[in-house]
Amino acid sequence: MKNTLKAYIAYGDHLTTLLFLVLLAGGAVMVRSATFGTKFAPLAERQTTWCVVAIAAYVLATLVPYEVWIEYSYILYGLCIVVLLGVMIFGHSVAGSRSWFVLGPVGFQPSELAKVAAALAGAGYIKDLSHKVIGIKEFSILTGIIALPMLLTLLQPDFGTATTFLPMILAAFYLSRMGLSQILKWAALAAALGGVVFVLGWFTFFKPYQKERVLTFLNPASDTRGAGYQVHQARIAVGSGELTGKGLYSGTQNRLNFLPAPHTDFIFGVICEETGFLGAVALLAIFFALLGRFLSTLLVARDMEGRFLVLCAFSVILYHLFINVGMVIGLVPTTGIPLPFLSYGGSSLVGLSLFVGLAANVRAHRFVR
Amino acid sequence: MNLPLDSGLPAKTAFLRVGLWTVFLLFALRLFYLQVLHGDYYRTLSENNYTRTIVLRSPRGMLLDRNGKVLCRNRVSFSLVLDAARGGSIDETISAMRRILDFTMDRAQVDAALRRSPVASLAVLARDVPPSWLQKIEAHQQELNMLRIEMELRRDYPYGLYAGHALGYVGLLSPEDAERMKIKETDPFIEVGKSGVEKTANVRLMGVNGRRTAQVNSLGREVEDPKLRLPGVGIQEDPVPGKPLNLNLDMDLQTILENAFAGETGSAVFMNPNTGEILAWVSEPEFNPNLFSGTVSASAWKDLVNDPARPLLNRPIQGAYPPGSTFKPFVALVGLQEGLLSASTVFTCGGVWDYGGHPFHCWSKGHGTIDLITAIQNSCNIYFYHAGDRIGIERLDKWGRLFGLGRKTGVDLPGETSGVLGSPEWKAKRGLGPWYPGETLPVSIGQGYLTVTPLQLLSFYSTLATGGTRYRPRLISGPPEVLSTVEVSPEALGVVKEGLARVVSSGTGKGCQIPGVEVCAKTGTAQVVQASSGKNTYSLDKAERDHAWIAGFAPRSNPTVAFVVMVEHGGHGGDVGAKIAKAGLEYLFLGKKPGEVIGPPKPPSASPPPLAEPEIPTDLPPEVPPPPPEQPTPEGIPQGTLQDQNGPAGVRP
Repeated sequence: MKNTLKAYIAYGDHLTTLLFLVLLAGGAVMVRSATFGTKFAPLAERQTTWCVVAIAAYVLATLVPYEVWIEYSYILYGLCIVVLLGVMIFGHSVAGSRSWFVLGPVGFQPSELAKVAAALAGAGYIKDLSHKVIGIKEFSILTGIIALPMLLTLLQPDFGTATTFLPMILAAFYLSRMGLSQILKWAALAAALGGVVFVLGWFTFFKPYQKERVLTFLNPASDTRGAGYQVHQARIAVGSGELTGKGLYSGTQNRLNFLPAPHTDFIFGVICEETGFLGAVALLAIFFALLGRFLSTLLVARDMEGRFLVLCAFSVILYHLFINVGMVIGLVPTTGIPLPFLSYGGSSLVGLSLFVGLAANVRAHRFVR
Repeated sequence: MNLPLDSGLPAKTAFLRVGLWTVFLLFALRLFYLQVLHGDYYRTLSENNYTRTIVLRSPRGMLLDRNGKVLCRNRVSFSLVLDAARGGSIDETISAMRRILDFTMDRAQVDAALRRSPVASLAVLARDVPPSWLQKIEAHQQELNMLRIEMELRRDYPYGLYAGHALGYVGLLSPEDAERMKIKETDPFIEVGKSGVEKTANVRLMGVNGRRTAQVNSLGREVEDPKLRLPGVGIQEDPVPGKPLNLNLDMDLQTILENAFAGETGSAVFMNPNTGEILAWVSEPEFNPNLFSGTVSASAWKDLVNDPARPLLNRPIQGAYPPGSTFKPFVALVGLQEGLLSASTVFTCGGVWDYGGHPFHCWSKGHGTIDLITAIQNSCNIYFYHAGDRIGIERLDKWGRLFGLGRKTGVDLPGETSGVLGSPEWKAKRGLGPWYPGETLPVSIGQGYLTVTPLQLLSFYSTLATGGTRYRPRLISGPPEVLSTVEVSPEALGVVKEGLARVVSSGTGKGCQIPGVEVCAKTGTAQVVQASSGKNTYSLDKAERDHAWIAGFAPRSNPTVAFVVMVEHGGHGGDVGAKIAKAGLEYLFLGKKPGEVIGPPKPPSASPPPLAEPEIPTDLPPEVPPPPPEQPTPEGIPQGTLQDQNGPAGVRP
């Protein structure tokens, strides 16, 4: 134990820890500001509690060597699948979808943990490969491992959360034996295919509200009262923050309820309004520094399974960040994807903390044979 | 450590790093664009979000009678306002309104309301709406975003119908009004006087709205948040309330007189001859100004306009009628002043006078040989035909002008008409040919080319009472205003007064005798149709019956009140007219309040009557209807030559 601690201090990824803690603190402050004086005010306390849980999860994820995690990954994965099945039957129904377990005052979304379990299970599968090369067969199996909990999440139905599994499939693809140029060809093909699916989907299975979101995204001025209201008000919140912001607790869009869901999906709007361009860019810099750190870890990781874990953490967090920030600043249509570590919500916080912890773990154990 | 892994990893990682930077720069540039380049634009939008200018409405001045009784006050009302600038669809709002508020309005009505409003994009859709709509609209914020409920102050006339014409009514400021009155308004709830003293004293009664900028949340609800002290919020301009207006009316007298009319149509005005203060102003049928205390529902307006009794006509100044025998004291006074008549001048009445081959009748079979005072007392037509013939139309015209007959009195009410005092000059101007001497004769008995408003006649009797000083009749209290002074000899006045006193003591005006008070008055019966000649007026259809007049003053020496009562189709002035006048005089001199009927039939209500459904303002501007043409074509008056008819004979006193 003593040695472990010593090694942790000597080799631990302290930069990641620092960035992670800054993000957690920022989240705790912003959730407080976004709920101040509203009926959601108690959530600020709860978010602080979740931060403690998240730190515990992070410490756990970094202290236990990741090969141990991988060793138990199938059990964790199996448990998660069982829980996901359970939540579909016994879960708490919110707006027609069963994605929550509620124990007293605490609600939990098992799909957030399932994401980590899927990444670990994928790493476990890679570890057991003798050749450690991801070919078509291996990629298909990895996709299957990730797709199972994703499909279960989709069936809850929770479309938004289900899409957050996708980056891990891309991670597996990216780590395959194909070279960059080949991957880019595939990416181009996928983009074209995606375009076709989108067009087909538009006329077949897209729900009206989904189409509306796309339309308002393309032309936000079209309806500033109906579907475009949130987008419009979010943009006012962002823009009116100007260079230095209106000050914490002083964002009028936030405090006077013009900004929708200020403590969850639109918390970045609160950040922009209250801390201005400087605060928003500083926050983004922290995020991108963390993601950049993951990329350097990717290069120094000692094995394929470690790389897979790091790239999963990287892609999942980048996906959240891109979709959420892009939505608030009007680059991406409205979706229900939270901003990692800052949006209110314990499950997502704990799940993503585990990812960051695992990435730090891989870096810390880069020299371990 | 050096496992034979994917050899392309460094390249892949580098690619991801480039991608990462790209996304970061994209976000940062976007934020720079929104927050730094367009920050002030979005700041303005956010300020527009949270600031709302709240109009602090100034109450319109109260109306009080001479004893301080409240004739008009203000009450709180909730109104439904559409703000077209708030974004959204009017059509969707209309359907949501029908669904959520159970309130039906079509697009045309909404557009009309928008056009009618002095404030672009703001329209008053309904007034006096149930307060429960407030919650309903808030609960359906998204769908009813364009709507809001505003509190306004509306006029409340506790006496209802009583004195409706004197008080007048108000209406919402229209864009035309705003332009005419040079009012720059941001509030759609400005009310302006449309008739009565409400119109005359509009500027004084109207206050000036104040305004306050408040901080509101997304529901439009005002929030106090010390952390959000923001520039521009909290500025306050206090409203300046309108000044109260004291009227000369005595509401008790007004009530007594209106009740005495008992459903008849006509006018009554009581005035202090020494000041011109109007004590009562009756124009029956009255309208209820509460109906207008904002906007009128279309059906109520149509009812008023189409009512054959023309309740919107302000009869004392907009009704021009032949004065009938009440004109005779004027003829007598002119004769005396010009030295053409004296108290001892006699003419003989044999019931008919042949004038140039045309018979002119008296209402009596013959009064015999009588002097001037007896002629006034008995209202002998033949005597006054002779008198008028002797005086001539020019002199009548000259003196009529001095006394203001056929002229506006200048009373402080809008819409006064002038009536007509016929003269050769007047006739020539109208292209009606030369003045025939035979046309002077009907004028001499108050018919023919002659119409006066009841107020003009009152002004004449009031001038008799003062001995020549003419005061401007005034409903609004203030210092007396002398219009002119007519030089009248005391002797001539004495003769006329004696005649008027005898009318009441032993003539046709017995009906308004007051114990202990010598009343001077003259009755009159103005012919409405030729057919009534020589017939019992009460045997005719109501519409063909003669108009009944009585005018006078009291007491004979040092008069304190002058009065006129005119009952349309009332028959004889000595009957119905005298009865109404007597009710007023009894109150003034004896303090008598007949029966229980003092004050309005129901006590002034503290709160507005609950409306069955909210009223929808209409396009119809509540304006005074056009007064009748000033050119009289008095019924029963010769229009062509005298040969064509029997002459206005047989006119009763």
